Amino acid sequence: MKHLPKYIRPRWRYLAVGIESTPAAEIDRGTFQRELWYAAGNLLGDPGSAAADLTVYSFSFADGAGETMLRVRRGETDAARAALACVDAIDGEPVGLSVRGISGTVRACEERYLGRGTGRFEQRHVAFADADRPAYARDEAVEVSMPTGFVSATELDFE
Amino acid sequence: MAGFYEAVTAYPEGTSTVSRYAKTAASQGYDGLVVRTREAAYDPAAIGDHYGIDVVEGIEVDAESPDSVAGSIGNFREACTLLLVRGGTNALNRYAVEQDRVDVLTRPMAGNGDFNHVLARAADTHGVRVEFDFGPVLRERGGQRVQALRGLRKLRELVEQYDTPYVVSANATDHFGLRAPRELIALGEQIGFSAAQIETGLAEWGRLAARNRERTDESFIAPGVKRGRYEKDG
Repeated sequence: MKHLPKYIRPRWRYLAVGIESTPAAEIDRGTFQRELWYAAGNLLGDPGSAAADLTVYSFSFADGAGETMLRVRRGETDAARAALACVDAIDGEPVGLSVRGISGTVRACEERYLGRGTGRFEQRHVAFADADRPAYARDEAVEVSMPTGFVSATELDFE
Repeated sequence: MAGFYEAVTAYPEGTSTVSRYAKTAASQGYDGLVVRTREAAYDPAAIGDHYGIDVVEGIEVDAESPDSVAGSIGNFREACTLLLVRGGTNALNRYAVEQDRVDVLTRPMAGNGDFNHVLARAADTHGVRVEFDFGPVLRERGGQRVQALRGLRKLRELVEQYDTPYVVSANATDHFGLRAPRELIALGEQIGFSAAQIETGLAEWGRLAARNRERTDESFIAPGVKRGRYEKDG
């Protein structure tokens, strides 16, 4: 079909969202999109989710941290924030999403809010809870591997 | 938008340490953090200075019956800045709202807990804040979430009618569960709160902490009383 004329095209907003999870998490684009649409549908209902759109435009995730850009219809950004808040776990691993910024164009969004590549995890051993445990450290954040899962700490806890 | 705080459950009860919470909360724009866990080992001043956030020592009393709560209040009131009592049954809710020494009644609508106009008035009289717990709304689905939303609605209508003081929290048990203030405000608006209500609820933690710190300060005499020269009458 032919594209719509400019005066009737939908107006979009692009949300830059930071993703944080444990070292064991492996999230791919498809899974993330599905979880997001699921959360939006549950909170806003099918009509609300359709109104907001929430399509993943770009996505990258590795080593427990990542970022994504979402397309949201103009006027629905608050509903989109609420839907994002309700995504709490993907594939069993806890996940924290936070909106870094909103922009009217893809390019401005990328330039201002995305492209912050965090480094790779550095594997170490730390003394925690009366034992020596393997840990993953990056940017002051330290994930300690315990028998029951990961405990999240920072370098301050080991000084 | 000023002075937003969040209250969190830290290691060993939760799975994130206080400093990791502070790091995440500071990057999300919070001005302060209230720690609910008594067993957590942390240095509030060091963490606060490093991440630029106010770390408040709190204790959340989680007991089975009003008698054990009474004992805990006596033991812990001097040991913390904010004293929270976990609700969730009618007996606990009824007891906690009558105590002047209690600062916040947390998750009153959880489990079998209920709230009514008598409790709302009592909470206002004794200065006990009720907590709007957004945890189940954020983390549950289906029937559990609907129950939680019903509880929040009932509590909100009572709070609005009787002017009961309140706080708002996402009740995180790990730092992934923290949500930035704007996200909480957006979620609150979706479920029937106004943005102003969420903002007030998040800032109330900070107001409480400041008030309690002032009261335990050495220079404090009594509410409204201060040392100084006599004011000359005109």
